[in-house]
Amino acid sequence: MVVLRAGLCPGLTEEMIQLLRANSIQTVVDFVSSDLEDIAQKCSLSYKALVAVRRVLLAQFSAFPANGADLYEEIKSSTAILPTGSPSLDQLLDSGLYTGEVTELMGAPGSGKTQVCLGIAATVSLSLKQHILFLDSTGGFTASRLHQMLRAEEEEEQLEALQRIQVVRVFDIYEMLRALQELRERLCQQVVSSMEPLKIVVIDSVSAVIYPLLGGKQSEGLAIMMQLARELKTLAREFSLAVVVTNQVTRDSSTGPPKPALGRSWSFVPSTRVLLASKEVTLEKATTQRIASLAKSPRQAVGIQVELDIGSGDVTPTERL
Amino acid sequence: MQRDVGSLPLAPALRARLFTAGFQTVQELLETGPCGLSREIGISKEEALELLQVVRQECHGDVARTAAGSGASRKCTALELLEEEQAQGFIITFCSALDNILGGGVQLTKITEVCGAPGVGKTQLCMQLAVDVQIPECFGGVAGEAVFIDTEGSFIVDRVADIAAACVQHCHLIAEAHQEEDHLKALETFSVESILSHIYYFRCRDYIELLAQVYLLPDFLSEHSKVRLVVVDGIAFPFRHDFEDLSLRTRLLNGLAQQLIIIANDHKSAVVLTNQMTTRIGQSQSTLVPALGESWGHAATVRLIFHWDNSQRLATLYKSPSQKESTIPYHITSHGFRDVQPPAVTHSAEGAEMNPRKRPRREEEK
Repeated sequence: MVVLRAGLCPGLTEEMIQLLRANSIQTVVDFVSSDLEDIAQKCSLSYKALVAVRRVLLAQFSAFPANGADLYEEIKSSTAILPTGSPSLDQLLDSGLYTGEVTELMGAPGSGKTQVCLGIAATVSLSLKQHILFLDSTGGFTASRLHQMLRAEEEEEQLEALQRIQVVRVFDIYEMLRALQELRERLCQQVVSSMEPLKIVVIDSVSAVIYPLLGGKQSEGLAIMMQLARELKTLAREFSLAVVVTNQVTRDSSTGPPKPALGRSWSFVPSTRVLLASKEVTLEKATTQRIASLAKSPRQAVGIQVELDIGSGDVTPTERL
Repeated sequence: MQRDVGSLPLAPALRARLFTAGFQTVQELLETGPCGLSREIGISKEEALELLQVVRQECHGDVARTAAGSGASRKCTALELLEEEQAQGFIITFCSALDNILGGGVQLTKITEVCGAPGVGKTQLCMQLAVDVQIPECFGGVAGEAVFIDTEGSFIVDRVADIAAACVQHCHLIAEAHQEEDHLKALETFSVESILSHIYYFRCRDYIELLAQVYLLPDFLSEHSKVRLVVVDGIAFPFRHDFEDLSLRTRLLNGLAQQLIIIANDHKSAVVLTNQMTTRIGQSQSTLVPALGESWGHAATVRLIFHWDNSQRLATLYKSPSQKESTIPYHITSHGFRDVQPPAVTHSAEGAEMNPRKRPRREEEK
């Protein structure tokens, strides 16, 4: 719904806009969908000029169709698969995190979501030598744990790997949107200067900033959530990034099965969803074993389960794919 | 600045008007100017000016924040964070086993939640921490002040005085053993009176007062910049009774959690919350789980669960970003929160196998 403004295209002058507005044509869509002969008569404008303006507006604002073969070629050349640092998780995700897609990790508190995110950050930074953006909204990012994961490497490599991980603390939905906007601007410039390669964005967690807005009689929360969803998906597609988000789980009743939080609207955003759960539910037996099951995937069968150990988390060369 | 208008923090009615008028990006808003805006949307010129101010603030927000230098800059690399974390102190609890499983003590800039059944020692731990945060740096403390927000009314000043006296005594013993200049100098200002005068106590009777207090806390903390600990004793109590609308409760709790994380992060202080336990009834058995629901479990970064095993008190680290899950026994004496004393003093982390030869429970004074 772009408003018609002078200078939007050559030939669209201020008086033209005033005349059009007098006939209740305010936006590009109104203009393009109306009958030009009719307008030419009512506004006493030249028909040729209107046709020329319409052609330019259509070229500027309509989407380009692309055929499947071109799309396939483009995806083949721009998609990368990033390892998560844990071979069993990679197997679950069909060999890793795909760029251009949003992957979601969900689980109850203490199920290991932050640990898996830290493991991903450590692996991508160390073995692929790429930059990572980590948006932390829960305060759970602990650099010393990351350091512990990298302790098998030499000092030099550890420091370099840590420097490639950039952490932004956002505790509010608007700050998160602002951080994503800054990322977008940085990536636009990067395309020109081609400096540091950024291929992955980790957001821990997305439900912490959206939960305070959802529910009740206001629908504002839903609108903002969809804004965030759109931003994440367009970032992933346009710049070929792998976006990893973490989410909570809720239950319908106290004994029902866990289902992902944020509702049905959010469930369309990630293309892949992994549920993390602990093996034991008692307090006495403490364990670092977790079970990861695939809840949604465009490539694999749903319901596959693998076991993860979030305790060791050492990133060693043998774990790279 | 191609930022979408929908992502700005504006009032819903205003946003709806902007959309119907056809504005999509921030660039268009800035180009139109206040007069054009007020004409197109139908708001007054002052409102248009305010709107543009908000927009400009959002877009240049980061620059303004670093220029003003308020709080810590929120963007940094993992390496810088590591250096920060290693330089940060911990708030010790005087129970070395608990400090060990927490990785050194209660961490600053994180929210720690302590859950437990009644009488297991949550308020005791809070009072101990309020005293321990004031230990001078030469003795291994963080030399900060404490804010104690009480919703249950379980804060007893006499008990805090006892704990403080024991702590001062302990520091005196260390100073005598080491005989260093700065130890003796620090001890001059470290006394029971000074400890008590640096605990700021707030009493909140219902959830509205609690929310108001937490929202007003940043102003208080910017005046009292030495505060390193915020304790909310009983975050479950005001939210558990008298709440018909459960979704409102979830929203309020999550908003509260985010506010507390912002406080913990910006003022470099530790936030400690205490929670109650509730029963989850399963198919064949029932288990004790922390109250306030599943979504609250994500609010705290570190979660400790205190429970009983016959007559021994145990603490389990249930959730932590950097430490493994483990369980240790602890003990509450007249001096405060302490380790379980074995015959030979050892520093083992998993002390669950130790047979404590200690005074039996009925002799404890609370």
